[in-house]
Amino acid sequence: MKENEPRKIAFPRYAEYNCAIKYILEQGLGAKCIVPPKLTRRTLELGARYSPDYACTPFKTLLGSMIECLEAGADTLMMVYGLCKLGYYGELEEQILRDLGYEFDFLNLAVYDTGKKRDFLKAAKFVNPRFSIRKLALAAMDAFRMAEYLDEVTGELYQNCGFQVRPGGYEAAYQTFLNALYAADTKAEIEVAHQAVKRAFLEIPIEKPVRPLRVGIVGEFYTAMDEFSNLEVEKKLSGMGVEIHRWMTVTNRMIHYPGEKNLNVKIRDLSQYEMGPTSTANIWAARQYAERGFDGLMHIKSANCTPEIDVMPALQAIAQQNRIPILFLTFDSQSSDTGLMTRLEAFYDMIQMRRKVIQ
Amino acid sequence: MKGASMNKAPLSEAPEKKGSMSVNSAKENPRKESPREDAFLGIDVGSISTKGVVTNAHNDILCSEYIWTEGDPIGAVKRLLRSLEARFDAERYRIVATGATGSARKLVGSIVGATIVKNEITAHAVGTISKHPEVRTILEIGGQDSKIILIENGVAVDYAMNTLCAAGTGAFLSSQARRLGIEVEEIGDYALRSKHPTPIAARCTVFAESDLVHKIQMGHPREDIIAGVCQAVAANYLNNVGKGKKIAGPIVFQGGVSKNRGVVAAFERALDQPIIVDEIGHLMGALGMAILARRAEARSPFDFRIEDMEFHTREVSCGRCTNNCEIICVYRDNKLIDSWGNRCERGQLRHEAS
Repeated sequence: MKENEPRKIAFPRYAEYNCAIKYILEQGLGAKCIVPPKLTRRTLELGARYSPDYACTPFKTLLGSMIECLEAGADTLMMVYGLCKLGYYGELEEQILRDLGYEFDFLNLAVYDTGKKRDFLKAAKFVNPRFSIRKLALAAMDAFRMAEYLDEVTGELYQNCGFQVRPGGYEAAYQTFLNALYAADTKAEIEVAHQAVKRAFLEIPIEKPVRPLRVGIVGEFYTAMDEFSNLEVEKKLSGMGVEIHRWMTVTNRMIHYPGEKNLNVKIRDLSQYEMGPTSTANIWAARQYAERGFDGLMHIKSANCTPEIDVMPALQAIAQQNRIPILFLTFDSQSSDTGLMTRLEAFYDMIQMRRKVIQ
Repeated sequence: MKGASMNKAPLSEAPEKKGSMSVNSAKENPRKESPREDAFLGIDVGSISTKGVVTNAHNDILCSEYIWTEGDPIGAVKRLLRSLEARFDAERYRIVATGATGSARKLVGSIVGATIVKNEITAHAVGTISKHPEVRTILEIGGQDSKIILIENGVAVDYAMNTLCAAGTGAFLSSQARRLGIEVEEIGDYALRSKHPTPIAARCTVFAESDLVHKIQMGHPREDIIAGVCQAVAANYLNNVGKGKKIAGPIVFQGGVSKNRGVVAAFERALDQPIIVDEIGHLMGALGMAILARRAEARSPFDFRIEDMEFHTREVSCGRCTNNCEIICVYRDNKLIDSWGNRCERGQLRHEAS
């Protein structure tokens, strides 16, 4: 890295949230953000080749994406941490990449998690020694707003796109929206993109029954949200004519999280304490869906995700108490589209036939 | 049917056109002769075996066939149809709708011009419920998959299917039989002769094999080892797909492994309940498809002539991005009639359907 030149910093692909990360890095810290290429089978193969086999699949996907970021010209990589094995992933990924001979600076946010919030400013300093706190705070607020809009619009997409009269309208409007978010440099541009997609969605004709089939998705923080990692499960299922609800999003978990204690009140009979980053929220969400009379539940996790394995018995209990079908899906680097389609079609047939009998 | 991916634009053209081609030849006859009764064909092409059933409007089986797939689904379907045709009463019946299921359902569906293509879970549930209306649980172990279907009031309410691992399926039993030097069909008789089944660790097929070798070297009798393998299959099933599911009776057990009396006995012991094994259990998927074809509205007279047509498939790597989608192309007499496997419109192919 040359003096006085902004860092070319990259965060591995995480669903579509990279647009918000890009916004903070560029508008808040004055760095140049390299947006990682879309995840493909090559990404996963690259990651799986250099990862320990028993790491969870997101580790492999993230590692592959980091390699693709470096190939795209990034000189600095950034990694977050979390309440599961994720806390150690940054360190491990850095070591693997260095062993492979890549040269880069590494910003591992886990290092700055000292218990004192102000230590995170050191991370900002690492990106840009002359950053302005005011600019960073403003950009962070805009980026949060961007992520909120992204989650809101994505949710609306999968609740409605299965019922559009002519296929493709929702997807096209959504893609335009994403492009606008990645290109946005100001708060005004974010607001305009949001208004435009809402208007576009309203104009798309849909034919939705009064009580459509509804499926609630719960699951792991990466695989449940990233459409490459879950083989587009939401797109496939909604395309059959199902309204899909997924509470688990980045903004719901990180910004609007009601707190473990508040959620636990509703599920104390099933779980007394937090078992991982998302377990309480997932059990709580599943119970919400079941009690609201949804037609089915779906649990999505990657292979070797320990916290989500712990959630499964509680979900089984919810399914039995509320007599609601639940489908458990596990994804790894070998998962096939065909196998997923078989299970989804069967799930759809089941909830549809079941609905006819119940009513 | 929205659930059947076959019927989705833009690839749906091919099978329908295929159907309309055979309409011409089939429609001429019934006008001249006295009207024939409707019959329905269900085809189930699995990894190991290929099944076919022809039913009348009351779900009675008119003729059926069960053959090995032998890694060649197209050839197997042709052999299946040839054998069904020989026994089919074409004077009295005519096939008006066709359903396809099993792991090769998409390929077979486009070859035979199926009016409905469904996953094997739905097909099995429908077929079994038609024969056993009171059933509450269907256990099924096939060549490479295992599934459990829970049923209430004649409708499936929950199911599970193995995902990442195929330990404890038919493939495991046949490889162990080979190691022990007996035919897979004999396993059941051996197992029933055992007084003290040997415990075998069966979480992983490869390690089960090493455990089995170890037990052989220790001098355990062959009957006990085989009975142990059967129990391991049942235990593995209940610990995997059966985990957390409330298994209520009556229980129907089907799939190729249900023909193994040793595994049936192991399930009866583990669940402490009688297990129903239907003698046509292996045909339930095909029967279910015939029923689903009857229930669906689509009609397209089926013509046995496709036995003589030339089909082949080709796998193309898309290469338009680094995802490299594998696109499967199906050709009839060297004309592309169907293709699938692309994830985006860049990989879409145009069909010159006849």
